[in-house]
Amino acid sequence: MNAPTETRPVADAQHAPDPAFTQAVAQFRNTITPDMDFTTALGAVRRLAKLRRQGARSAVSTRVAVLANTTTTQLAALLDLFLFAQNVDAEIYEAPYGLMRQEILDPSSELYSFTPDFIVLATTRRDLGAAPNAPDAAEAAIDAAGGEWEALWRKAHERLGCQIVQNNFDAPPWSVFGNLESSHAAAPGHFIDSVNRALAARAPGWVSIHDLDGLAASVGRWNWGDERFFHLAKLPCAPEHLALYAHRLAVLVGARLGRSRKCLVLDLDNTLWGGVIGDDGLAGINLGQGDAIGEAYVAFQRYAKALAARGVILAVCSKNEEANAREPFEKHPEMVLRLDDISCFVANWDDKAANMRRIAQELNIGLDSLVFVDDNPAERKIVRDLAPEVAVPEIPVDPADYVRAVEQHRYFEAISISSEDFQRTQMYRANAERRETASNVGDIEEYLRSLEMRAWIGPIGALEMDRSVQLIGKSNQFNLTTRRHSAADIQRMLESPDWVTRVVKLTDRFGDNGLICVALAHAQDDALHIDTWLMSCRVLKRGVEHALLNNFAAFARERGLNRLVGEYIPTAKNVLVKHHYAGLGFTEMAAAEGRTLWELPIGAGWAPLPHHISAEEVQ
Amino acid sequence: MSALLDDVTAVIRTVFGDDEITLTPTTSADEVDGWDSLMHLNVIIALEKRFKVRFSTAEISELKEEGKNIGSLLDVIAAKQGSAP
Repeated sequence: MNAPTETRPVADAQHAPDPAFTQAVAQFRNTITPDMDFTTALGAVRRLAKLRRQGARSAVSTRVAVLANTTTTQLAALLDLFLFAQNVDAEIYEAPYGLMRQEILDPSSELYSFTPDFIVLATTRRDLGAAPNAPDAAEAAIDAAGGEWEALWRKAHERLGCQIVQNNFDAPPWSVFGNLESSHAAAPGHFIDSVNRALAARAPGWVSIHDLDGLAASVGRWNWGDERFFHLAKLPCAPEHLALYAHRLAVLVGARLGRSRKCLVLDLDNTLWGGVIGDDGLAGINLGQGDAIGEAYVAFQRYAKALAARGVILAVCSKNEEANAREPFEKHPEMVLRLDDISCFVANWDDKAANMRRIAQELNIGLDSLVFVDDNPAERKIVRDLAPEVAVPEIPVDPADYVRAVEQHRYFEAISISSEDFQRTQMYRANAERRETASNVGDIEEYLRSLEMRAWIGPIGALEMDRSVQLIGKSNQFNLTTRRHSAADIQRMLESPDWVTRVVKLTDRFGDNGLICVALAHAQDDALHIDTWLMSCRVLKRGVEHALLNNFAAFARERGLNRLVGEYIPTAKNVLVKHHYAGLGFTEMAAAEGRTLWELPIGAGWAPLPHHISAEEVQ
Repeated sequence: MSALLDDVTAVIRTVFGDDEITLTPTTSADEVDGWDSLMHLNVIIALEKRFKVRFSTAEISELKEEGKNIGSLLDVIAAKQGSAP
């Protein structure tokens, strides 16, 4: 199994970075936005090169091959720029112009000696064969196109174990079939649309289909392409949209490296409603039907609510008396967002940068998982200055433009959306309540008992696959080795007699936490080696670690193994679990370059660890 | 004329990230370090944006040809802006 991405500590002891330089780099990342003008973006590419010469580095590094039958020079440079904005350093290989298929098919191509973690297939409609010349040929043509690309993905993945991002095909702005373009089986537009659906349906877990067609449509199809620059220089789209295009590709790669944001933090006054609740009162704020501005605020709330419904966490950060801040949520009939949509509600008079840290801590996520939306430029500035890890989009004056201002950044890109994402708000909120219970209960054991926790521990099955791969792709903090195994890797483990896969699902009296833990181990010699162990930080210190360890020990004993072996690979984010194995009674057996190996004999002298979870265990 | 030259010079300095570049109407692309076909497009794109003009496909390739210079570029922009150079 290969581990496609090396994560490494940001700071390096030999040359401790100058804080002012680190700050400047963080602020530079925040200036890289998808609405950058092309010339400005090229200037930023030069600035990036200069910062790198001065030692600027990102938290994560990766290798990306860009393959296209169009010119990729600008696209590749901008892809690098937007990955850097997400704290990723990419080494980029641009395949020679026009050799997309050959590079994949030829095992001796430079693509394979480069060994990318990601292949970006920057296809356009020109890479798709002609539309079927008769309606009855359509089905076969769609199938053939889908089959060809799938075969290329599989070939590359088989040889490299890499992940793939491929564009779907952008329909042209013209419609030779007129209004029948979208419905007639032999129309190019219909053909492209059908192939795009087929690609989406065929894509395995390790392939992201980038919706280039949707991007072209959102820009406007006549504006998207600039035929002059295609004919002159084979640019894939109008130059003014190259930054936007590169940004979209970068967020898809970033999502697979765990760089997506998780939480939208909202200011209240003049962000969710017009006016100031503390001054204007419940009846005085502008929100709701009958007033154009009031409707614009409702529309923005609907957008936030829709994000929450698919798994984005919402938080509030407002300079207000808490009772005032809560009042509209409780009493205003036009409020779309309600208190139970908000996982963390902070209303006080502290500076907002400090509040960002509080929210991150409360939700147990990194500062770099937050997006902060505030109409007030001064508040945006203080957060940008003092908590530069937080994404702070520019917010226009007109509330009618708020949705676009946030949406264009694609902060919350997900590799897949599982049914558990739909319940996430409830889970985080129940968690906050749990924490309150904890502060009321003196004895921690009593508290854990009072949670009435029930766990299901078993192998990764079809139902567990999506969520498991998602967690493997994005968990950073409670992650012992940060190995980003793909769905295909997991499939191979499931088929191997030596590997054991485990997931834990946990419910308690406050609700269903869903699938919160993934662990992968393999038997070798006399030991069970734990390759991967990650958990959602929501369930820290609840005893899940003990329950899972007991499960592994029982499995190992049954196979006649004598020891469990654990491994810790440090990254910038997982210091939380540095002492994980020590805490479970393991002893350190080896250490090199920060990595440590731990062992636990499980002979007669070892007894299962205590916990308060009633576990259903499936082998 | 010289105002337009100044404006064009400012755009080209931005594109090349080099504030030292000085241009005269007789300067040709070959005399500017790094003005290759890729940079030529970057210059064209920046000029279109700055002057709100649109170069035709033919103009874009001709402006890079032998014998053309900054003066030719100024002429094309001035003509598109509807004023004599």
